[in-house]
Amino acid sequence: MNRIRLEMKGIHKAFSGVHALKGVDFTLQEGEIHALLGENGAGKSTLMNILGGVFQADAGDILLGGAKVQIMSPQDSKSLGISFIHQELNLIPDLTVYENLFLGSEIITRYRTVDTKRMIEEAERIIDMVGVQLDPKALVGDLDSSLKQVIEIGKALLQESNVIIMDEPTTSLTDKEIDSIFQVIRTLRDKGVSIIFISHKLKEVIQFCDRYTVLRDGELSSTGCIRDTDEERLAQAMVGKDLSHQQVYRRRTLGQVVLEVKGLSSGHVCREVAFALRKGEVLGITGLSGAGHSEMVECLIGYRKKEAGMIRVHGKEAYIRHPKQALASGVGLVPKNRKENAIIKDLSILENFSLPSLGKFLRAGMIRNQLERQRYLAHKSQINIKANDPSLPITSLSGGNQQKVILAKWLEADADIIVLDNPTQGVDVGAKNEIYQLIMKLAGEGKSFIVLSSEIPEILKLCDRVIVMYQGEMTACLEREEATEGRIMMYATGAKS
Amino acid sequence: MQPVQSHDIGTRKPAMQLQRLWEKYSVGIAFVILIVIAAVINENFFTSGNLINILRQVSIIGIIALGQTIVILLGGFDLSVGASLALSGAMGITVMNQTGSITLGVLTTILCAMAIGAINGSMVTKGKIAPFIATLGMMASARSIGLYYSDGGSQTGKVEGFAELANGEILGISYPVYLFFLITVLIYLLMKKTRFGRYVYAIGSNEKASLLSAIPVNRIKMLAYTLCGMLVGAAAVIESSRLNSISSSSSGISYELDAIAAVVIGGTRLSGGKGSIWGTLFGVLILGVLNNMINLMNVSPYLQGLVKGCIIIIAVLLQKKE
Repeated sequence: MNRIRLEMKGIHKAFSGVHALKGVDFTLQEGEIHALLGENGAGKSTLMNILGGVFQADAGDILLGGAKVQIMSPQDSKSLGISFIHQELNLIPDLTVYENLFLGSEIITRYRTVDTKRMIEEAERIIDMVGVQLDPKALVGDLDSSLKQVIEIGKALLQESNVIIMDEPTTSLTDKEIDSIFQVIRTLRDKGVSIIFISHKLKEVIQFCDRYTVLRDGELSSTGCIRDTDEERLAQAMVGKDLSHQQVYRRRTLGQVVLEVKGLSSGHVCREVAFALRKGEVLGITGLSGAGHSEMVECLIGYRKKEAGMIRVHGKEAYIRHPKQALASGVGLVPKNRKENAIIKDLSILENFSLPSLGKFLRAGMIRNQLERQRYLAHKSQINIKANDPSLPITSLSGGNQQKVILAKWLEADADIIVLDNPTQGVDVGAKNEIYQLIMKLAGEGKSFIVLSSEIPEILKLCDRVIVMYQGEMTACLEREEATEGRIMMYATGAKS
Repeated sequence: MQPVQSHDIGTRKPAMQLQRLWEKYSVGIAFVILIVIAAVINENFFTSGNLINILRQVSIIGIIALGQTIVILLGGFDLSVGASLALSGAMGITVMNQTGSITLGVLTTILCAMAIGAINGSMVTKGKIAPFIATLGMMASARSIGLYYSDGGSQTGKVEGFAELANGEILGISYPVYLFFLITVLIYLLMKKTRFGRYVYAIGSNEKASLLSAIPVNRIKMLAYTLCGMLVGAAAVIESSRLNSISSSSSGISYELDAIAAVVIGGTRLSGGKGSIWGTLFGVLILGVLNNMINLMNVSPYLQGLVKGCIIIIAVLLQKKE
């Protein structure tokens, strides 16, 4: 039987009247990978920030190895052997691995110079401990994302931490990288380190974790051993309702071909891509990261230069070399990485919404704010955007609602072919489902969608057909009936073509 | 559609509201405080003669700062404004002297400055050169052409009535002051009410997302730099008319820095996307009042730079609050 390393009992925390945590209990054993789950706003970060010393609890106790401790600052937390690895890594790309490992705690010789030799030796010891192949003198900027995570873990080990909190470490990693990072985490677990793993990806949690705790609305929703549960039940615990019989896909009759792509090529990011999209269809395009599907649609909408290829929209050849020309043909892109590519953070919800369709709201060259607002409100109620005041910055919305604003923006701009690249990235489980329903509804009304996703279940949930890409080329185009996770994976990994 | 519990929905919190108010009006408040201090310290400050004098003095930098605001909001920069002013002023006076037409002279000045702006714009868009570098190159080049053309000296107007443009008055207030306020209102409307203005803010905040939102990013950039050039042209007309001459070596020196200072004091973010025309107006007025106070108090003019420097730094420190 494992011993208990850390206990948090009856933790309360309120921020200016909002009760973020309402008496949460949390138990962490020695040498386990413990998944901490919950929707955005469920209180995961607050709980972990209390453990990390960023916030102090209003009430409740923290026991470490059975003894009550006070954590008043991040330094306290560190000295108690707790390390918090944030989602945004704190690494300096232009420094080497060992320099990053020892940043802020360099080993100094008696001449007050930096003891490079001992630092490299120490770094090698740590790298050995996590069991990866890594040159301590390599530049961090040249490394894979997963190895960067490993360096953060290494930093924690240097401080002799035995509790490591990882906040969504796998969001930006490929499947292969995720495997290697979990190998490291398992090695550490077997050496007795306890890892708290915050994630949205239930599949990973089931695959790699030992125990779980689910928070909902600041309360403990469920906790237990991973082997006694499954994805469905975890998702249910997160949203508090039964999602299992929520069938998303609905069979619809599809219309004429609205978009035809032939021989689309651009360098080695995509070669000879050809497909057709029908009115009301949801076409999935998937592949491993780096398969070129994102780049291919960037060529399609004229953001990226294409070398060859013909695009026909509604039977007419379209020359698209700028997103503006794409929109003129009725094609709009909801890009991946919303924060960087889709939202304009200094503009309000309303201003983000009207950006591509401003021309419609002009009178004598001036924007008619009244009309602009009316149009927004029409979409807001239609696609259920939850926001009170459209003149607030778009960043005041949750991920799911931001995504809906971006979608509404193309609807208002009369785009009838909408390309969605990773549409549920950084969106929590409940809102995810809502976006799926929305896509289905709009497709039923005659909009056509191209949905790009690396999550195969998402593709299977939504799409009439699936195109699989591997290294810039199309390896398959499967009808809904023939598409299974296994088959798609075979084409996506190039095992079959 | 499934109902989802309503967390992190945009709502106004009182603290946030206060912060927004401060962000919005801090420059105006600072300006009022400065006026009060100036009036208390020196009895000559709050006379209509002195106030009109301040406005007359700031109008040239003010018009340039408005153009600079647009370019900075866009995420750009224009270091060439001072050199462009000297060169286009000299060109305008030459054409005026040759043809005897003030109108042609004024048009030449404005077109020349617009051309320089357009070249800046194409270097930034077509050449993909960082705005700082592109306009730094333009600054050196335009100054050099001006010096070569006038052989290091000045161009003096020989047409009667030209000096009237900057020195004429209505109701005791000289024309450039009216022009400055007129342009301020026009640029305010342009930035606040038109598609162009909205696009400028969007591009300055997130260029890639703007492009993906079907905004013609390069065209807007060209327009912005050309418009900035046009305003420099208007300022050049005033500058050359004021003394009926323009110097290739000393006219417009460090105007780019004064204009950028006014923009920064006005609260516009140097990397673009956030700021306002009103902010710049107050930034210009604050600089003008400070210079005036230094004169009235008989402080050495050599200390003007120190005061300006401190004000810029304090302004930025205060704005850091966000």
